[in-house]
Amino acid sequence: MTSLVLTMTELLRYRGAIGQWSWMLHRLSGLGVVLFLTLHVIDTSWAVFYPDLYVHAIAAYQSPLFTIGEFALVAAVVYHALNGIRVAVIDNRPRLWKYQQRAAYIVLGLTVLILIPTFILMFGHVLNFYGSGAPTLSLIEVLTAQAPFVAGFAVAIIAAILFSLVFGLIAGNRKDVSVGKGTGSRLERFWWSFMRVSGVLIVPLVFGHLAMVHLIQGVFDITAANFTVVGTDLVNQTGTAVEFVAQRWNYQIFGAVAIWRLYDIALLSLAVIHGFNGLRYVLTDYTMSSPVLRRASIYLCVIGAVILLVLGAGALLGTIDQSAIEIATHAAENLHR
Amino acid sequence: MDVTFRIRRFNPEIPGKNKPYWQEFHLTDVEETDRVLELMHRIKWEQDGTLTLRRACAHGVCGSDAMRINGVNRLACKVLARDVGNRIQVEPLIGLPVLKDLVVDMEPFFANYRAVMPYFINDSPVPADGRERRQSQEDREKFDDTTKCILCAACTTSCPSYWANGQYVGPAAIVQAHRFIFDSRDEGAQERLEVLGEPNGVWRCRTIYNCTPACPRGIQVTRAIGEVKLAIRSGSPEGIIEESVGPVASSNS
Repeated sequence: MTSLVLTMTELLRYRGAIGQWSWMLHRLSGLGVVLFLTLHVIDTSWAVFYPDLYVHAIAAYQSPLFTIGEFALVAAVVYHALNGIRVAVIDNRPRLWKYQQRAAYIVLGLTVLILIPTFILMFGHVLNFYGSGAPTLSLIEVLTAQAPFVAGFAVAIIAAILFSLVFGLIAGNRKDVSVGKGTGSRLERFWWSFMRVSGVLIVPLVFGHLAMVHLIQGVFDITAANFTVVGTDLVNQTGTAVEFVAQRWNYQIFGAVAIWRLYDIALLSLAVIHGFNGLRYVLTDYTMSSPVLRRASIYLCVIGAVILLVLGAGALLGTIDQSAIEIATHAAENLHR
Repeated sequence: MDVTFRIRRFNPEIPGKNKPYWQEFHLTDVEETDRVLELMHRIKWEQDGTLTLRRACAHGVCGSDAMRINGVNRLACKVLARDVGNRIQVEPLIGLPVLKDLVVDMEPFFANYRAVMPYFINDSPVPADGRERRQSQEDREKFDDTTKCILCAACTTSCPSYWANGQYVGPAAIVQAHRFIFDSRDEGAQERLEVLGEPNGVWRCRTIYNCTPACPRGIQVTRAIGEVKLAIRSGSPEGIIEESVGPVASSNS
């Protein structure tokens, strides 16, 4: 904790060049995206497991708080993606470091350039929805709906610390983690390469995903009846969020390939593993002086990644039948009563 | 010109001064070509003899007087008054324990330095003619840049990863390792790559690029770290450096 405070205060006081701000923005945007990714994977899995909960989750997304969050999310994803490319390219060609400052400014400029038309499109959806006078959940309702997530995060953090304490009691706490033992870590080497490869692979996938469900159709179109679901020729007849997901995942090309299920599996696995390893980097950077917190950071990231991968894969391999859509229809009717 | 110094002071032995505090000093008749080190000598000699700082050669060779001047790590002996203006703020380096005023404990820094085996390793027999181990100019140039390091710690203590985690080996130790890893006559590359491949080795570098402009010798620090990462990834220093920095040192700022 002290090392985090020292780093933050000295970062503000040290007059480094743009590189240190790029790094800070990369971390903050990454943390923001991981937070949303966690919520998003969990509640999208409800479309399969708890259709009525999914209806409520999408209703929360269609409220002002999440609308503001959506703009922040898109900005964070775009910046993180472009800066990630800058990092990955120079890491593979270190002699290009001379262009890193220019690249950092180009990344900022490109982010703004991409965000202007993106925000205009998104704002169109926003005006359309709130202008139509559609009922929305109140801020209190939205916040109470997030309470289980906050409780879940707290439980995960406490569990990680407890596991770490127990491990320390059994196996002892290794305090000396300084270099010089000559035991290079194959794992860290793998993760370094993985972050760069996966990061570059995610970029087209996540941009496609954003384009489909944030720009072409926004989160507000998910609950529009008789609307053709983006990326398919199937129609969301009931106008429930659950049928939207069902149609999207049912859509097949070449007779039998559920293209969006495959797409989402690729995006899920790459983004979750990239995101939680990034979280591990951030957490362990500031917990090196405490063996307990250092181990807890690693456990937390492993627990988080495994839960999300299992939930997400379970949903993507599951089926949404007619009864789920009926439950959703019923839940949607009762939503704003 | 007149100059105002704002210096971060600390003296663990004197009550009232054993918490870091700022103190201002005013100097008149300052030439714009005076070095910050000389001005601090004037403060010490003419105004306050208790002001404590390290310096030896005073000409940018020994690397003793690295400190944070106007927010960035510099050698006090290589910064002129005209480079920093007439308000000069001086603080000790970040991330190393402060002993007194601007003097920090360099031992953690040197412990990381020793960890990378910063000496020539070659156990094979000397060449048949009993003379030198020959090296081409191209091979020599591959590590020319990293031979220039003077261990002043300006790069390591400019690194946010090092501030957060003093166990991180830090830029200077990696630069020193680079100098031997990419030396065609040296045979210790594998051992050094194993050391630097540990979790607190090169992988803690997040390419923030504070270290490169901090180097008073113009070493392309982040580039050297990147080359070591690639050597660890491929398992050997062979073929990593396609294009050397070249014989002429360039400025990084």
